[in-house]
Amino acid sequence: MGADRWLAMARLRLRTLFRSDALDRELDEELQDHLDHLIDANVASGMTPDAARRQALLAMDGVQQQRESARDVRGWRWLDHTVQDVRYTLRQLRRSPEFTFAVVATLMLGIGANTAMFSLIDSLVLRTLPVHDPPKLAMVTDAPEIGPGYFTNPIWEAIRARRQFVDGAFAYNATQFDLATRGESQMVDGMYASGGIYDVLGVQPIIGRTFHESDDRRGGGESGAVVVISYPFWQRHFGGAADAIGRSLTLNGVPFTVVGVTPPDFFGLEVGRGADVTIPIGCEPLIRGKESFLDRFTTYWLTVVVRLKPSQTIDSATAELRGLQPQIRAATFPPDFPEKERAQYLKDPFTLLPGATGSSVLRSQYQKPLVTMLIVVSLVLLIACANIANLLLARATSRRHEWSLRLALGASRSRLVRLLLTESVLLAIAGAAGGLWIARWGSHLLVQQLSTRTRTVLLDLTIDWRVLAFTTIVTVVTALLFGIVPAFRASGVAPMDALKEHTRNSAGDGRITTANALVIVQVALSVILVVAAALFVRTFTSLANLHLGFDADRVLLVNVGVGRASIPPGERLDAYSRMRDAVAAAPGVAAAGASDVTPVAGMSWNNRIAVSGGVELPDRQRLTNMNAITPGWLVTFGTPLLAGRDFTARDNASGSRVALVNEAFARRFLNGANPIGHTVQQTGFRATPPREIVGLVADAVYRSVREPVPPTMYVPLVQQDLIPGIPPRPQTTISVRATSGSPARLAHGVASAILAISPDASLFFRPLAEQVNASLTQERLVAILSAFFGALALLLAGVGLYGVTSYAVARRRTELGIRMALGAAPGGVVRLVLTRVTVLVAIGIAIGAGVSAWAATFVASLLYGLQPRDPITLAGAAMTLATVGIIAGWLPAYRASRIDPAQVLRDS
Amino acid sequence: MSRPSDFVQGTLDLLLLKILALEPLNGWSISLRLKQVSDDVLQVSDGSLYPALHKLEHHGWIKSEWRQSENNRRAKVYSLTASGKKHLERETANWNRLSVAITHVVKLREV
Repeated sequence: MGADRWLAMARLRLRTLFRSDALDRELDEELQDHLDHLIDANVASGMTPDAARRQALLAMDGVQQQRESARDVRGWRWLDHTVQDVRYTLRQLRRSPEFTFAVVATLMLGIGANTAMFSLIDSLVLRTLPVHDPPKLAMVTDAPEIGPGYFTNPIWEAIRARRQFVDGAFAYNATQFDLATRGESQMVDGMYASGGIYDVLGVQPIIGRTFHESDDRRGGGESGAVVVISYPFWQRHFGGAADAIGRSLTLNGVPFTVVGVTPPDFFGLEVGRGADVTIPIGCEPLIRGKESFLDRFTTYWLTVVVRLKPSQTIDSATAELRGLQPQIRAATFPPDFPEKERAQYLKDPFTLLPGATGSSVLRSQYQKPLVTMLIVVSLVLLIACANIANLLLARATSRRHEWSLRLALGASRSRLVRLLLTESVLLAIAGAAGGLWIARWGSHLLVQQLSTRTRTVLLDLTIDWRVLAFTTIVTVVTALLFGIVPAFRASGVAPMDALKEHTRNSAGDGRITTANALVIVQVALSVILVVAAALFVRTFTSLANLHLGFDADRVLLVNVGVGRASIPPGERLDAYSRMRDAVAAAPGVAAAGASDVTPVAGMSWNNRIAVSGGVELPDRQRLTNMNAITPGWLVTFGTPLLAGRDFTARDNASGSRVALVNEAFARRFLNGANPIGHTVQQTGFRATPPREIVGLVADAVYRSVREPVPPTMYVPLVQQDLIPGIPPRPQTTISVRATSGSPARLAHGVASAILAISPDASLFFRPLAEQVNASLTQERLVAILSAFFGALALLLAGVGLYGVTSYAVARRRTELGIRMALGAAPGGVVRLVLTRVTVLVAIGIAIGAGVSAWAATFVASLLYGLQPRDPITLAGAAMTLATVGIIAGWLPAYRASRIDPAQVLRDS
Repeated sequence: MSRPSDFVQGTLDLLLLKILALEPLNGWSISLRLKQVSDDVLQVSDGSLYPALHKLEHHGWIKSEWRQSENNRRAKVYSLTASGKKHLERETANWNRLSVAITHVVKLREV
């Protein structure tokens, strides 16, 4: 095949594409020329000019047809048709702006909501880390069913010494650092990371340098204490200045030198949170001082990540790691471990888990709610599709005349179907474009909702190929769903209809049947969404109104950190007590108490105990939650003391050992008997001397509102049993109850009271009510979203039902008019119309209720305080739909009953 | 108004290429030549000539240019391209093989 031929063809194709009008003119000229020749020849053979012309036209076999087929042989014909169809459709849509607006707006919302949900799922669950070759990353764990594990620094160092079995390894710990040098804390998300992190991940700095193994020395490497900062932090804190490199940054009161900035998309390994500042693990002693974790054999805090060799699979690498396990375990033995637990420690096998998507606390919490919400919004989109299909069907009726005319003039049916599908696709594309915009805005809004005051959620919401593919598929499916039925119904138009005057009545009932089916689908889907909304809203309200066992209003929590303060570790508990006393004396303070744990803060502390004279329980059930509190704490929280006495100032380090327990404790360990006078002691390898139980307090929520109140034991803060060699934690929380008004107003007075005792303490304020609210973020979000989309579904279904009924009434206008002329009462007409509606709605409700009952079990884990097949919820949803159905049907029915028979008879 | 049968349609391309191989012609002259050579056996309407010509042109076998004709009218003159020539040779060979084969079959004696 010659190159000249390709060239010629290409030239012609290009001309067809860009100069098709010129080609058309040439073709016309050619055909006209031929016609002229024919006429001339005919005249020459003796015909009259008229006959000659007629004969010539006959010989041409239809000039117009030949013109069309000559154009058809050109390439790009489909493009030509498409451009025509698009132009035509745009003209049509401009002519009915209300219709276009209604459809595009509905689609924008529907596609936008779907895209927003998906882009959240994408960034939280599907997206791989923005690092080099993420599939080769793996995370070490000793509990594969839970996820990536935490390890002690000695274990990490033992793995690091043997890291030749893979292509590289590093460890990290996501944490927060305090930027403030005094007074109120200014927390920033960050991490401790081993020196190899950037080399193993293949992350290059955008300015400066990252740190390396040589920087990860205890107390700092050659360049001293270094910190690598994130791009957002660089922008936020340093205004993106290039001279940020070399500047000093104070973390928890310790100066670090900024050496580099990571790329904008790098956020560390914890999806959902940023790592604004990263320091080498070796610098950890600078921050924690003598309480450094580096040589602790029982502090599990590091996540270990490895990069597999190209030849390795995750299983083969796991096998090699297990081969090294005995050495690693033996080298990291906790010195005072009892014999019994030694064997278990040695046995616990290491496993590698895929690490391409990093790890994420947020993911495990939100994956299921997000997928549920994605299903919810996809159902809303389905309902919207049904509405749009109905609108198109109604439009189709008014356009029948036009279509039959087109068919009569020779348009093919397939061309007609294409024309109508073009309309659907154009509408869907407009909806998708708007939807992407809504999704951008919506997904950011959602992420903001996920964030709380102490947890800034950071998710990469840029639209990647997966989101685009998702939106494209949704758009195409949507267009097909709402476009295909009307398109094929239209292609069934008979050409002869164009010639008849009253085509509407001869159209048959097909449109009505289809519309009815669509209404049933809508009602059924709406039932499902209303059930879901009701379940989630009831879950949230029952959690929000739950009896907490304490009064969250008017309580301010003050986290006090003394890590950088000059208080000797041994005197910390005493200092906390003095702070508490000072705060209690501050103006406007009704009560104050310090504690180790505050409710719903996500923290848990439990011990294995034995109670004198208590029930025999297996080891596993002898766990009680613990808290260490000062006098005044119970009063501050409003948790009632049911029997015995509260702690007093006399319950100090030298006083006799005492404890308070809650009702759940008494039920579990004493079968509900009065616990006062019994003694309780910690068992296990850190057994403690017994304490006397001096009081019984009411049950109060501990870690999570959702969990039943666990057995809880309170000990005086200053009487805590400390692990030998480990000083008390360098932080405590002082809870303050205001005499009146907002607790936030206490902050100033409380701060000066505490700083008077320890001027270097770092403080962080948070109202207790906010902490309780934050713990219900997920439930609240799911409730709000499902309620919103449930309401939207109801609205769409109502509008759909109303439209279909109105249309049916309009079609039966003549019949109804005659009925009324013959004496039917208006009430009878209303009944006639409503009966139809009732049947449709009833079928829809039955189907929807059935599907809901089946589907609800999948969301059981997201519910609280009610069964997924809660009959009241199902009945309520059915009632709601029935009400909406009756209202949507009654309006057209009422109008039908107002038909003037005389008018109808005149019209026909 | 009869349409050319499929068979004729298939051979029309071959005929057109052959005619143009002899000399470049405009549409009108081609139609005259077609009637003349096929003794009116091939019922090709005047109109269907143009779709056929345009198709050949789009395949790159013939090319066209506008020329001034005798009575000062502009006419589009078609001529064979190099690859059109090769295509004609191939098609002619095919045709010959086919017609020999068919003649053979048709001549078989019925039993």
